Amino acid sequence: MPAATTPAAKRTIGQLIKRLLLLDLFKGLMVTFKYNARALYEPRDGGNPNQAIYTEQYPLEPARVSERFRGAPRLNLDPENGNTLCIACDLCALACPVDCIEVGSIRREVREGEKVNKKKVLTTFIFDTSRCMFCNLCSEACPTDCLELTQSFELAVYHRAGFRWDREMLEKGINYVRYAK
Amino acid sequence: MLATLISLLFVAPNWVRSITNEKQPNVFWSEYVVWPLIQIVVVLFIVLTLVAYLVYLERKVSAFMQARLGPMRVGPWGLLQPLADGLKLLLKEDIVPLKADRAVFIIAPIVSVVAALVVLAVIPWGATWATIANVNIGLLFILAVSSVGVLGLVLAGWGSNSKYSLLGALRSSAQMVSYEIGMGLSIIGALMFAKTLSMSGIIESQRISGVWYVFFQPLGFLIYAVSALGETNRAPFDLPEAESELVAGYHTEYSGFRWALFFMAEYSAMIVTSAVAVTVFLGGWMLPGLTGTSLFGIGPISDPTIHTFASIIVFGAKIMALIYAYMWFRWTWPRYRYDQLMELGWKWMIPAGLANIVLTGIWYVLALPKSQGGVFGFLRDEKGQLVPKGAGILYFIITAFIVTIPIVWGLLVTINRRSRDFNLTEQRQLQSQLRRERLEKMLQEQPKPAESVGQ
Repeated sequence: MPAATTPAAKRTIGQLIKRLLLLDLFKGLMVTFKYNARALYEPRDGGNPNQAIYTEQYPLEPARVSERFRGAPRLNLDPENGNTLCIACDLCALACPVDCIEVGSIRREVREGEKVNKKKVLTTFIFDTSRCMFCNLCSEACPTDCLELTQSFELAVYHRAGFRWDREMLEKGINYVRYAK
Repeated sequence: MLATLISLLFVAPNWVRSITNEKQPNVFWSEYVVWPLIQIVVVLFIVLTLVAYLVYLERKVSAFMQARLGPMRVGPWGLLQPLADGLKLLLKEDIVPLKADRAVFIIAPIVSVVAALVVLAVIPWGATWATIANVNIGLLFILAVSSVGVLGLVLAGWGSNSKYSLLGALRSSAQMVSYEIGMGLSIIGALMFAKTLSMSGIIESQRISGVWYVFFQPLGFLIYAVSALGETNRAPFDLPEAESELVAGYHTEYSGFRWALFFMAEYSAMIVTSAVAVTVFLGGWMLPGLTGTSLFGIGPISDPTIHTFASIIVFGAKIMALIYAYMWFRWTWPRYRYDQLMELGWKWMIPAGLANIVLTGIWYVLALPKSQGGVFGFLRDEKGQLVPKGAGILYFIITAFIVTIPIVWGLLVTINRRSRDFNLTEQRQLQSQLRRERLEKMLQEQPKPAESVGQ
């Protein structure tokens, strides 16, 4: 029988009854039985830690990712005219601790209304995801909220060249594998 | 009486007799060859499929109890998982360790699985024709053959030529041998009422008295349930193969289909022990109002064929309920330590079984008819069998629940009152204290080395 936690002399009547009827064992049985019963009827609700079944069937259903998760990088576009928000200031590349960002730009005259300004214009943007450690410092440094780390995390590719994301991939996003249910 | 006896002896249905072209008195082929073979094939098929699906059930139950989903990928809700597992085990490489005793290594799983499957022959799966062999020593046969299963474990442990296997086999065989005694003793109380060892006979005597023996023998059932857990090496007594702390136990060196045979033997043993519990304590295939006896005037099903099928379903449902309880216990309770296991087996279960036999015997003798030397005369002669009726049933239930259990509990507490006096932690503290005192004494007696250097 289970070991006594208190010497027999110090045991109260309540403890004695609990011990005689093995109440603790039945308490444990009730806990597991409740989980089993709830698993059979309770609808599964993603993200709720108090539900009967916590399993997330990832390839079949979208994975639950934290709000602050930092995953694949993205270059945001201006929603009004579709131009890039990047001003080629190179701050992200300077901020990057592992030097995985390379910003290519040219100086060019740009007509804005009546004036003609000489401006730096983005040509290439290379982001090496194999070296990136997703620290978010580039995104913090970006003055125009152009570079951003998104929540998608399926970054696996078949060869190392695939880790070098160019400007087009960063702007349009990559083609993720979508699993049909 | 004679008619019922004959109908019990000849159980093959008429269509079997028409296959063999035999007339009523000479029914050797239909009765002893064709019909049993059909039964054996059906029972083996159903039990082996059930074993495969018990593994699935175990995985699902454990998953649900731990807020998981369990197997989901093979078939809808993972229902084809047993098939995939079986296929995998069939295709695996057949490995025999180089230094193993080859013959023993190969025989061991066969012994194990045969001992587990032979027993299925005498289990009464249902009324009339649903038993393969109605042997008059059925229960004895089950207990005897299932103890041969221990031999399989010992052979596996020895034949593997591995220390892990040998130690695992030692532990399992010690455990199974210990718990077999408690198991045997717990059944005897119920057998006093049944007065037969035939499995069908035990159910029949429960039908006549109208009460399941669990009400007459609650303590016996409890001891049986605990011993059955120990006997089948299942949690909380699964320390021979405690997967969280040991290598696999006696089947460490086994892989592929030989390992699957051991697994099959284990799960068949589960089915067999539950079937015995159902037969002896839970009224076998009887369910009042449906099969066997009537409930509030709603009689048992009158059509014999439907009645038999219903009885098979009832028996199966009772077995499954017990097996679910097995799984429930496994995924709830922690494992016993080895000394606790042995203490429970030898110092609690066996004395309790003995006391239960003595007390049940006393209640039984007191209740005998007055012509046979009893005091209360609660037992009545019915169809040549002494059966408790009316007040007798109440008498036996009350004595079992209100008198026997407290007496046995008091007895056990008295026997085991000093078994926890030895406290390892206190002993260690005492020893280290004594050692410290000894050292201090030695230091005081010796001249200090620092002083001698200084001079």
